[in-house]
Amino acid sequence: MDCERFEELLSPYLEDDLTLEEKQIVDTHIRTCASCTELLSLMKQARESLASFPEVEVSEILVEKLYELPQKRKKFRFVTDFLLRPSLQPIMTAVTVLLVCLSFYAFNPDRTAINRSIERQFQIGFSKVEKLYAEAESITHTLGEYKDNVLVSIKNFKPFRGDEDEQPKT
Amino acid sequence: MLVNAYSKKVFNLAYQFAGSYEEAEDMTQDIFFKLHSSIEKYDFEKNFTAWLLTLARNHLIDQYRKTKWEKKSRDEFNEHLLSADSRSCPEEGVMIQESKKIVWEAFNHLSSEIRMAIILRDIQGKKYEEIAEIMDLPLGTVKSRVNRGRLQLAKILKEKKEEKNGL
Repeated sequence: MDCERFEELLSPYLEDDLTLEEKQIVDTHIRTCASCTELLSLMKQARESLASFPEVEVSEILVEKLYELPQKRKKFRFVTDFLLRPSLQPIMTAVTVLLVCLSFYAFNPDRTAINRSIERQFQIGFSKVEKLYAEAESITHTLGEYKDNVLVSIKNFKPFRGDEDEQPKT
Repeated sequence: MLVNAYSKKVFNLAYQFAGSYEEAEDMTQDIFFKLHSSIEKYDFEKNFTAWLLTLARNHLIDQYRKTKWEKKSRDEFNEHLLSADSRSCPEEGVMIQESKKIVWEAFNHLSSEIRMAIILRDIQGKKYEEIAEIMDLPLGTVKSRVNRGRLQLAKILKEKKEEKNGL
């Protein structure tokens, strides 16, 4: 048996988990290999040390904190329940879409082209608004003229003039 | 109820694994927080202690991978363990005390999975079947990890012994 195989069988040997045949092979190897015998003894020592590690007591402060945890969790659940309410879902969706658009804009390598395109669209929109405003002004002006004409016509309409045109009889 | 019954078990597992008292306190709180969140998922037909220790083991190994505790040194052995050791007495051999200290410090040289297997088997004295359930591994893998861990510790003890004799 080589030392490598012996190392594989060390734990089962210490825990008495080998067949009689395997145990005899290990025993024979131990008698002939000083290095493996030392390793076996050190492994026993390591196991004994580990087995005698004491249990450490938990501090009272930690115990108190552990008792407070369910309360903390209730608060946490209140926040998550509030955020996950169905009535907030459309708002959350809108915010998500907005954030996606913003991130698309913020992380786009060709951001200047987007800026330019936005500016162009803005200018087109602005000129359209200007045109509409000018048209509205001209309509107002025309309506104003019509109004004056109508007023003059009404003033000149006979039934409304009464006796103004009649000459006083002398 | 849960705190009384399991805080010591979880805290000791965290302390033996992390080697730092403060770290172990934080980890214990995290594990209990997770326990409260996932208790609804517990299958009542299963062993609760094994289920809790699986939760603890997963959390400890995840945190270990994230924060790399191995870069930090462990607490001095004398700091908490020696004072807690009611069995230790002046008659206890200096060699055993010394080897306890070396083994405690040598834990940092073991990988997280091997360290966990050694803690569960040799410190906490669990059966291989229980460890396999906690670690969600085949029985053969657990036995092989325990053997590898013990071998590594024995070799570290050997090195320290040689260093001491060389001086």
